[in-house]
Amino acid sequence: MNPPDPNTEPDLLPRAPATGQPILPTQQPGYYPGYNTLGQQKFWDAATRRLVVQRVASPPPLRFFSEDQARFWKAVFDHLLPQTDRTPDRQIPLIPPLDRRLYENRTAGYRFENMPQDRDVYGSIGIEAIDREAQEQYGKPFLALAWPEQDLVLRAMHDGKPHGTNDIRDRMPVHRFWQLIVQDAIEAYYAHPWAWDEIGYGGPAYPRAYTRLERGEPEPWEVEEQRYAWDDPSAAVSGEVHDASQHSFESEQHPHHVARSR
Amino acid sequence: MNKPLFGAFEAPGNGKHMLGPIQHIDVPMRRFRDSEEVDYLVVGVGSAGGVLVQRLARAGFNVVGLEAGPFWDTERDWVSDEVGSHKLYWEDPRVTGGSDPLALGANNSGKGVGGGSVHWAAFTPRLHPSDFEVYTRDGVGADWPIRYEDIRPYYEQIELEMPVAGPAYFPWGYPHGYPYGPHPMGGVGDALIKGCTALGIPVSIGGPVAILSGSRADRPHCIYRGFCIQGCKVGAKASTLVTHVPDAIRKGAEIRDRCMAGRIEVGPHGRVTGVHYFDREDRLHFQKAKAVIVAGYAIESPRLLLNSACPGHDNGLANSSGTVGRYLMAQAGNIILGRFEQLVRMYKAPPAHALTEEFYETDPSRNFARGFAIQTVAPLPIAFGKQMVAAKGAWGWGLRREMMDYNHWATFGFLGEILPWPENRVTLAEERDQFGLPVAHVSFNLHDNDKKLIHFGKQKTMEVMAAAGAAEVVQEARFAHLVGACRMGADARTSVVDQFCRTHDVPNLFVCDGSVMPTQGSANPGLTIQAIAARTADYLIAQGETIFTSNRRDVTPPPMHRELAPPDTWGHGVPRL
Repeated sequence: MNPPDPNTEPDLLPRAPATGQPILPTQQPGYYPGYNTLGQQKFWDAATRRLVVQRVASPPPLRFFSEDQARFWKAVFDHLLPQTDRTPDRQIPLIPPLDRRLYENRTAGYRFENMPQDRDVYGSIGIEAIDREAQEQYGKPFLALAWPEQDLVLRAMHDGKPHGTNDIRDRMPVHRFWQLIVQDAIEAYYAHPWAWDEIGYGGPAYPRAYTRLERGEPEPWEVEEQRYAWDDPSAAVSGEVHDASQHSFESEQHPHHVARSR
Repeated sequence: MNKPLFGAFEAPGNGKHMLGPIQHIDVPMRRFRDSEEVDYLVVGVGSAGGVLVQRLARAGFNVVGLEAGPFWDTERDWVSDEVGSHKLYWEDPRVTGGSDPLALGANNSGKGVGGGSVHWAAFTPRLHPSDFEVYTRDGVGADWPIRYEDIRPYYEQIELEMPVAGPAYFPWGYPHGYPYGPHPMGGVGDALIKGCTALGIPVSIGGPVAILSGSRADRPHCIYRGFCIQGCKVGAKASTLVTHVPDAIRKGAEIRDRCMAGRIEVGPHGRVTGVHYFDREDRLHFQKAKAVIVAGYAIESPRLLLNSACPGHDNGLANSSGTVGRYLMAQAGNIILGRFEQLVRMYKAPPAHALTEEFYETDPSRNFARGFAIQTVAPLPIAFGKQMVAAKGAWGWGLRREMMDYNHWATFGFLGEILPWPENRVTLAEERDQFGLPVAHVSFNLHDNDKKLIHFGKQKTMEVMAAAGAAEVVQEARFAHLVGACRMGADARTSVVDQFCRTHDVPNLFVCDGSVMPTQGSANPGLTIQAIAARTADYLIAQGETIFTSNRRDVTPPPMHRELAPPDTWGHGVPRL
C-alpha cells in the first residue's frame, strides 16, 4: 500500500478546529517553528554527531524482513505513529531501525515468559494476529483494508480486546504485544532529530552544556514555544487518550493475564 | 605531575583510552596468564567489583577483574543519545515472569566496566538504621547480620570517594551532611520542592547525588545535559569506571573485559580453584585463583552459582541453604507524571536532584510495614513516550499530541520498599545464551504488604504532584533496582554469605554485590553496594593470607583502611572531612 496522498485523502490530515479544514503537511509540525537540533551538531561530540547524522542520512537497509513483511509493518506503524502531517521528504523511517534490531537479534534484555521471541512476533505471530483480527472484523487481510478500518483493527489490539474467535491470547498476552510494537515505533520516531525539533527537545549537549535549568527557559539556541490548536484527522480513532493510571501496579492494570503465568 | 590545575582536556582520538575528556588510563595494563594462580578473581567489575579490585590491588594482591562487557573508552564509545546507549545495558537473553514480572535490561542491569554505576542516575541516599533490623522492629522481612554503625564509616568514606553532592544537612535516618555542595535545581526539582512545601513535607535539595558540583582532580563538573543514565561522557557522574578502576590498574590489577564467566570450579578439598570463562572470541579459558569473589549483581551472581552446580553442590554452588536465587527484591518505582501549564523542559539537569524521605519509616497509623521515598526523575523523549503509552493509553495521533507537550511535563519517582519473599527468585531457564549457558529465569510476585505500600505511596506522590500545581497527574506502575538473591545472614541455613560476604559453604568463595542485601529500604542501592564492598575489602586485607590457606572463619571486624582509598579522595584538601 502506498502512503496516502493527502491531496486526495484530506480526512487523514489534522484539522484546524476553527474551520474544520485540513492543515496541509509541513516540514516541521509542532510548536517550535524554526528549531533545528541538527543545526547544532557542530557543538556535539564526534561520536554523537557521527551516530545522529548517519541516522538521518542513511537508514539501514532491510535485512531481516522480507518485502512483504516490511510492507505489512510499515502499514501498521503508519497508524502507531502517523506522519501524514509531515511532507514526504520529512517523514521519519520507522521500519529500518526495527529491521536492524531484529537482524542483529537485539532485545530489551529480557523476554516475558508468556511472550514468544521478538523475531517470531514480527516474523509471523504478530502478522497473523493482526490479519486474524482484520478477518474477524472485516473479512479481509489487514493490508486490504481502508485506512479507517485498519485504525479500528489496531484499536482492538490497543484495547486488549480482539474480536470473536481470535486465538491471539493463547499465543501471547495482547497488551505485551501492543507494548512491544508501540515501543519499537517510539524508539524509531523519537530517536530522530526531526522529532526532537517537533517536540522542542534540546538533544545532545556535550560538551557545550545547558545553563538555563529552571522555569522551562530556552537556551539561546533553543526557541520559544508557539502553540497552535489542531484536531485529529477525521478518519483516525487513535486521537483519544484516557487516564489509564488508576492501578497501583501493572498486574492490576492487566489482571486477565496474571492467571496465564506458569 | 605537572598538569594544569583542573587537568588538560584531550582531543578525542588521541590514541589514549579516555575516561571523560581529561582522565585516561595507561594501556596496556598488567596481564596475568590463565595458569598463574592469582590471589583474587573478581567476577563482574561493576559497583562492587570496581571498589574491590581497587582496594585489593592497592593492598598488594594480584587481582583480575573479569567483566562480561567492554572496557569503555567514553569519548569513543558513548553518545548523547537514548537508543545509541543500548550497549550499556545487559541485553543477553533472560526470561521474566511471575504475577508481577520485572522489566530488566535498561531498567536495572548494566554491562561493561563500571556495571550499573555507568547507567545509574546516581542518587546516593544511605539506608536508615532501621533497615538493618526490619524483622526485629516490624516482624517482617529480615534482620541484617550487621548494624548501621558497622557500615556508617564506609558510607562516609565512599561518599568522599565518589564524591557525593548534596545538602549540608540531611535530616532522615542517621542525620549527616555531604562533602560537595548541592546542585542547582531544574524544573522537576522545583516542582518537588513546591509540592512538598505546600504539604509541609521537608525536601533534600540538590542531592544526595554522586555527580560533581565542582571539578575535582581529572574529573570535570556537571554540565546538566541530562544524559546521566546513558553514561556520563563528562565524567562528572561517579561510576567505578572513573572513580576506582583507574587506580586499580595503576596499582597492578588486570581488568579482563568481554569475558563471560560460565562456571566456578571446585577442587578436591571443597575450595574453589578458579573460574571457567569465555573470552571475546568465545574461546573457553580457565583462570586459576586462590579466592573468587562473585560480583555479578542480583541476577548474574545467583545464575553463576546455580550454573556451577557439581557433585557435593548439586543444587548450585554455596547453596546448601537453598537460598541462592531467593529473596530477590526490586523496589516499587511508579513514575508519577504531572502536566504543567508553564514549560518545564525536564531534559535539563540531572534526573536525580531532589528527594524526600519523610515517609521512609514504618508508620503505625498506616496499614503496612516500612515506607517509601519520593524522588525526581526526568525521562528523555523515548522513555517519556513509553510512559505515555502506559499512563494514558496513548498511540497514534494521541501519542503525537502528548509528545508535543513533552516540555510541559515533570516526573517524580515513587521509590517503595518491597519485602524479601522466598518465591521471588532467580532460577535457571531451559533457554541458553550465546555461550550455551542456561539463562536466568526471574520470577516476581507482589504480596499484601507490598501492594498496600505501593497504593499508599503512589497516592501520596500524586498528591505532591498536584500540590506542585500540575493541571493533570497520571502514573506508570513499574519497578526500580534489584537486590537480594544471595543474601547475607548470621544463620547458614537461611542465607548464602556471612557479614563479610564469604559464602557459608565454601571458605574461599565470596559473593559481594547488591545480591547480598537481606532488605533494601527505600534508598537507591548503589551507595550501599559500594560501602559493603569497601567493608569486605578491609576484611580481606585484614585476614591476609589466611583466606587462601585456611578454612577458619574469623569474624573479627577489620580496622578501616582509609589510606587505601584512591588518591585525592581523602585527607587534607578534600572538602568536609
